Amino acid sequence: MKQDFAIDINNISSEKMEYRKKNLELFNKEGFPNRRLETWKFTDLNKIIEENFENLEAHNKSEEYQEVELLKDFEHNYIILINGILKSNNFKHEDQKKFKINEYHENINNKIEIQNSLISLNNALFNGGYSLEVSSNYKFKKPLVVYNYFLNNLENKIVNNKNMIILNENSGLDLIESNSDISKKNFIYNNYTNIKLDENASLKSYNLQGCKSNGFFYKFLKVCLAKMSNYEDYIFSSGLKFNKVEEDVDVIGENAKCTIQSAISLSLNEHQEIKTQINHLKPNCVSYQKIKNVLNKNCKGAYQGKIFVKDVAQKTDAYQLSKALLLDDSSEFNAKPELEIYADDVKCSHGSTSGSVNEDSIYYLMTRGISRKKAIGLLTKAFLFEIADSIQNEEIKVFVEKNLDRQIYGY
Amino acid sequence: MLEIKNLKTSVNDKTILNGLNLNIKAGEVHAIMGPNGSGKSTLANILSGKQGYNVSGEINFKGEDLNKVSIEERAQKGIFLAFQYPLEIPGVNTNNFLKTSLNTIRKARGQKELDTLSFLNLVKKKSAELGIDEKFLSRQLNVGFSGGEKKKNEILQMKLLEPEFIVLDETDSGLDIDALRIVADGVNSSRTKSNAFLIITHYQRLLDYIKPDFVHVLSNGKITKTGNSSLGIELEKTGYANL
Repeated sequence: MKQDFAIDINNISSEKMEYRKKNLELFNKEGFPNRRLETWKFTDLNKIIEENFENLEAHNKSEEYQEVELLKDFEHNYIILINGILKSNNFKHEDQKKFKINEYHENINNKIEIQNSLISLNNALFNGGYSLEVSSNYKFKKPLVVYNYFLNNLENKIVNNKNMIILNENSGLDLIESNSDISKKNFIYNNYTNIKLDENASLKSYNLQGCKSNGFFYKFLKVCLAKMSNYEDYIFSSGLKFNKVEEDVDVIGENAKCTIQSAISLSLNEHQEIKTQINHLKPNCVSYQKIKNVLNKNCKGAYQGKIFVKDVAQKTDAYQLSKALLLDDSSEFNAKPELEIYADDVKCSHGSTSGSVNEDSIYYLMTRGISRKKAIGLLTKAFLFEIADSIQNEEIKVFVEKNLDRQIYGY
Repeated sequence: MLEIKNLKTSVNDKTILNGLNLNIKAGEVHAIMGPNGSGKSTLANILSGKQGYNVSGEINFKGEDLNKVSIEERAQKGIFLAFQYPLEIPGVNTNNFLKTSLNTIRKARGQKELDTLSFLNLVKKKSAELGIDEKFLSRQLNVGFSGGEKKKNEILQMKLLEPEFIVLDETDSGLDIDALRIVADGVNSSRTKSNAFLIITHYQRLLDYIKPDFVHVLSNGKITKTGNSSLGIELEKTGYANL
């Protein structure tokens, strides 16, 4: 699909404008990714966009702040993004000297070049986002909720934004990203998030979907883990019409740990893909991915997981598992596990299963008066709740479980 | 309460039950004994409504033909099957399951659903009677339970749901002597004039604790002999081969 995007951004240096132009050229050469690319073999984005959009335009407006609904009965700090732009923040539970929150500004000198046309497009057109830095030795007392609101007329728009999270040594943060699409329009959200964890820092991040959305979401996370750091990411993004999350994690310090888990319930005509690449570059690190999908009625899910172990990364312990539960014959799930190992003393394994709900279990529940539909609901919930159950923070677990319940049983 | 007339079942052209007749009245306890493969568990499955069998003949429960009644409706109408091998269901919390089941059945009976607190009080009381540790109730359904714990959990469900017609499918298998006594006490204390039991077993030992009014021998898909509780004792001595 041929697309003409214009860079409509004022007040930036000529270098930054040059950088944007160069990236737009890169995008124009490649276009939206299609299935000929190995990393997009299960998700032909170019075709999907052609089928769903006409005259796609970049969203360049600077949004007015609007009152939005905040989560109740849950103590938290928050920042509010409206159509990708940072509009408000409140860190009332924290020591104000121990963190910095700003609008995102690109440092083009430190840019990591990644071959990906959507990132090129984001580099060219991004408009807003946030940058958060937590000081050394400071652990957040309450979770930070990032409200990602989509409002107003986003029809045929592409929202590009970037976020940056830096956790300095011995710092800690629980972050909940909550997407709410009030616009109900047909739009694309293209996000690039850069996460850096310094020595012994810990980031636990939870991605929730507040309501059904017609949005097409793409999120690329570049994560860098220093010595002894701990990164945990939970993806609960049920309800999006289209979603692809890519995580590229460099484990650059010894004894670091990376956990990515996902529980997604897909329904009519939805499409979701998770792709992870964990690059073990130093010894004695642990990585773990567990991806669970429930598919019901003509939907499509995919998981591509790669574990790369460099020759020096001895004693790596890497494990990857994908499980899909198909509730009918019209849905499709694809998994592509990949191991690339150059060290000889490592523990790496992967597994992938897909199947239907166990009929004996349904029968057992039905003999206790429970209808077939409700029995399948109970078993589906059980399948997905295993992921939420592994959340250690009880308060967050309860909150996530409530949210997951709505995601499974409808909004 | 339950009338079975000329019940025939088969799976893939293999006949299992071949003209079984049985009449059970409220307040009665019937035991069915029989060798392996005689069709005992099939009878239990058919009564619960399990699919996958070709069934002919009549099963009437309180005057209603059960053939067209679904599995969950049978449970709602008061039929309960205690499984020979209760299923392990990972991820389903035992308490949540019990509450969902009880409230579905209460609703079907036109009773008010129990709120969480009333439910927990009830389940605590009933599980204490069976010597079930409360912590089992917050665990995943039957996951990692011993054979005895699973069977006790079946009896707990029976006591909670208060069904009218109860089938115990080899509930004694896998139980040690103490667990057997607890399970039997659980059954005996549930006996009323308005409910009835069908106990399926290989051995007399369960019947030492739960005294049946009738003992039937099931062989080749038919009831070949019926007697009182002394028939079980006789079978224990002579075996099925002499029948």
